[in-house]
Amino acid sequence: MTLAEDNGPERGGDDIVAAEYVLGVLPADERRQASVRIDGEPGFARLVDEWEVRFAPLGAAYPEVEAPASVKQAIDARLFSTTARSASGQPAGLWSSLAFWRGLATAAVAALAIYVAVPMLNPPVDVPQERMVASLAADGSDVKYMVMYDAATGEVGLSHVAGERGSGKDFELWMIEGSNPPVSMGVIPVGATMKMPVKEDMRDKLAAGAVLAVSLEPTGGSPTGQPTGPVVAAGDLREI
Amino acid sequence: MTPQDITKLIVRTSMKDRGAFDLLYRQTSSKLFGVCLRVLNDRAEAEEALQEVFVKIWTKADRFAASDLSPISWLVAIARNHAIDRIRARRQAPLAIDEALEIADPAPGPEAAAVAGDEAGRIHGCLEELEKDRAAAVRGAYLKGESYAELAERHGVPLNTMRTWLRRSLLKLRECLER
Repeated sequence: MTLAEDNGPERGGDDIVAAEYVLGVLPADERRQASVRIDGEPGFARLVDEWEVRFAPLGAAYPEVEAPASVKQAIDARLFSTTARSASGQPAGLWSSLAFWRGLATAAVAALAIYVAVPMLNPPVDVPQERMVASLAADGSDVKYMVMYDAATGEVGLSHVAGERGSGKDFELWMIEGSNPPVSMGVIPVGATMKMPVKEDMRDKLAAGAVLAVSLEPTGGSPTGQPTGPVVAAGDLREI
Repeated sequence: MTPQDITKLIVRTSMKDRGAFDLLYRQTSSKLFGVCLRVLNDRAEAEEALQEVFVKIWTKADRFAASDLSPISWLVAIARNHAIDRIRARRQAPLAIDEALEIADPAPGPEAAAVAGDEAGRIHGCLEELEKDRAAAVRGAYLKGESYAELAERHGVPLNTMRTWLRRSLLKLRECLER
């Protein structure tokens, strides 16, 4: 017996499966199948979201219960600890190993420093020599960039480490400073290493240490001025 | 915190802003812990689930943009679905009779009805139109993540009967909500 047959022809069985998934009544195997479909089928995901919206008011009945402080500590240890392990207790893979990234960062920063510095061997004396670097990556994404900001030239140098944007898509670079909404720094040109000029009014904010993020956008960049696609890589800009 | 504030925190979390993530945790973890506790009915397991829920929120915050849910409902949905995944993965433990009686009536509290505005209140109104035991089955399933098997046992009907009941109730609910 499949759900579609059982439900008859009137509206298709998918909508009822979506409702059963949201309600939570499905047995483990059918729940897993539904969850795979949510990830792979936008039409089905939409039906699930519609049922989530319909039932959401019932969620008001859940009481608030303070969780012990140990929970947040455990979350931070899992997400941000320098000896990060994956949830299964296995050592994290090379790509998510912080030590690996630090090593790569050092190498990439050295390469990038030469790339950025060579054209200006005789900089004016009164220009600040501050350089900052960020390693951009995100869980669930293979996109990696190294970014170096040179306050002397007002440019960011980017080194594309891994990850493809796909046809009809562009990577867009964003700066997030404090609690302000992300500000676009422009679409990242295709290439292994590239430089992007930074607008005057953004330079101080970068120098103060901002978060940089890369989102996947339609060709030419976000049409709205805010990120519209998934964030595929992000990281803090730090002094070196 | 207004829904707009929570939305901002979720968007900033998607940009890997740890300060925003910390604040989002402070503002919403009690609600999400309440969800995990209600579904899992076990404190240690609920604490573990809450950890996993916030790890998911950190890694999947960018998906919020694709949902029509309000920010807090979106977070509750992540916690609910995760907690339900966990109990489904548990080995089926038979429900003790007294426990089943104790949790038999999850009617919405007055504060739920007060929070529910016109649009939000409709689900409550439409549940009223169902037969009493079926409305209770739908509420129980939603709030506690009960499976068809558990509902069938509690209502003393065969599993397939329970499934047919509930599907008919869902179709009626949809019809009522679309009116």
